[in-house]
Amino acid sequence: MKRSPQLMLTLRKLALLFLRDFAVARSYRAAFAVEMFQALFGSASFYFLSRFVESPALERSLPPGANYFSFALVGIAFFDYLSVALTTFDGSLEEARQNGTLENLLVTQTSLPVILAGSSLYPFVLMSLRTAIYIGWGAILFGFPLRGANWLGALLVLGASVLAFSGLGILSASYLLIFKRGNPVNWVILGLSSVVGGMMYPISVLPVWLQRVARFVPVTYSLEGMRGAILGHAATRELLPSIAVLIAFAAFLLPVSFAIFSWALRRTKVTGTLTHF
Amino acid sequence: MKNFALSLENVEKYFPATASGWRAFVQPVSQLTIPALRGISFEVKPGEVLAMVGANGAGKSTLLRILTTLLIPTRGRAQVCGFDVARDPAKVRLQIGYHTGGDACFYSRLTARENLLLFAGLNNLSVAEASRRIAELTEPFGLGDLLDRQVRALSTGNIHRLGLARAMLHRPSVLILDEPTRSLDPLAAAEFRRFLLQEIVGGHGTTMIFASHTLAEVEQLAGKIAILDGGRLLACDTLAGIKDAATAGTLEESLEILTRRAPREIQ
Repeated sequence: MKRSPQLMLTLRKLALLFLRDFAVARSYRAAFAVEMFQALFGSASFYFLSRFVESPALERSLPPGANYFSFALVGIAFFDYLSVALTTFDGSLEEARQNGTLENLLVTQTSLPVILAGSSLYPFVLMSLRTAIYIGWGAILFGFPLRGANWLGALLVLGASVLAFSGLGILSASYLLIFKRGNPVNWVILGLSSVVGGMMYPISVLPVWLQRVARFVPVTYSLEGMRGAILGHAATRELLPSIAVLIAFAAFLLPVSFAIFSWALRRTKVTGTLTHF
Repeated sequence: MKNFALSLENVEKYFPATASGWRAFVQPVSQLTIPALRGISFEVKPGEVLAMVGANGAGKSTLLRILTTLLIPTRGRAQVCGFDVARDPAKVRLQIGYHTGGDACFYSRLTARENLLLFAGLNNLSVAEASRRIAELTEPFGLGDLLDRQVRALSTGNIHRLGLARAMLHRPSVLILDEPTRSLDPLAAAEFRRFLLQEIVGGHGTTMIFASHTLAEVEQLAGKIAILDGGRLLACDTLAGIKDAATAGTLEESLEILTRRAPREIQ
């Protein structure tokens, strides 16, 4: 049997797992159309909410160039990447356990980290599509400002964010491997991030001590960078501080989470609970 | 050791005690105190077919899971084609094909072909190799009309054939089957056994180890039989050897006599 170089082989496996999820999703065609309209309703809700809450005082707290509608739309759309990262790894593990494919996947020539990484691709791509639809509806119907946005900068912030968030997601999957249910890792990270991360309001409105806590949460830098790139028209070099902090989070979280995940995986093979619910 | 397809030396497996309430939080790091396998040793030569029989909880599935690298033995050494399951799990997985008797082990919304291509790719086969291999397996496995149908539309018997085809895609040296006819009706089970006999045992020289509760199946397929009881290996021999050891006329009688003689330490 001819063997490809390891990297190409891994990339091909990631693509296969992505195509698997795409093919499964394609078999539920109506769901995608429904999601497009869901995004329309979500976008419309934020627009009308912003008309209700907008005031000169609020305008002064927002970053330059932003109104509350665009501020909240970017916040909610990109905060969802954190939700996807936290749920996609343990979600794919849970799904494989439930549909009975986990054992068959685990006896292949593909390691569990590659299986989980490949299984997370489709949710991230779908999330990007959903975000684009959110923003698209916002731009077409409610005046979301697209002109002057630094899309390359936004992509760099997004890439660094996904890496940092994935570290948290792998930690979450490690918890699920060991304890099976009731994942407090997700609950704590999502809860804390939604309060202090600046999703719906600028962190400047928080008490000073909470603003300090916000500096330890990756989504804070992700939303700052994203709003800077899309709404504040910041140049890429102005986004570098946010990107650097996100990469530092990733550099710390990814090796730590992989080490914990490896330990959890080995432990479940020792205790015999790998495929238990 | 390298001359054996499977080699087990004093393999032991212990699990932690089941815990509830707050103790469940320390269970993952608690001591392994519940024995599931004790001192299992046997060898299987290349091309041999070994059946494992024994009551529920005897340790058959635990042993198979150790051989598939899904479990790590607590003590002892298990090797597949000379590779240690605990130290070289990736090399072991290259040698094995695994199929369980369950019928929910595919992506039901994908077609049979899409499922096979996915698992072939995860076993390092290129698309061209996988397509060629699927074409090779189509006729002997009777998959012709089924390949382009979604798995959810297939009968249990056909899903089993597909499962076996998946296990054979990468030409494994050792085929591991856990109760392969468990969810099949008697006619489908008989057909599946005929199929195993002709295509796997007779045709390719593949080593096979399987667990089963159906003694007729064991007699029909296996050249060697291992009898497990309470995590201990009571006998591992040919059918004739087992009958002689138990001074019995049938496998069923042998099983009764040998398990009655065995000390009942593990429940």
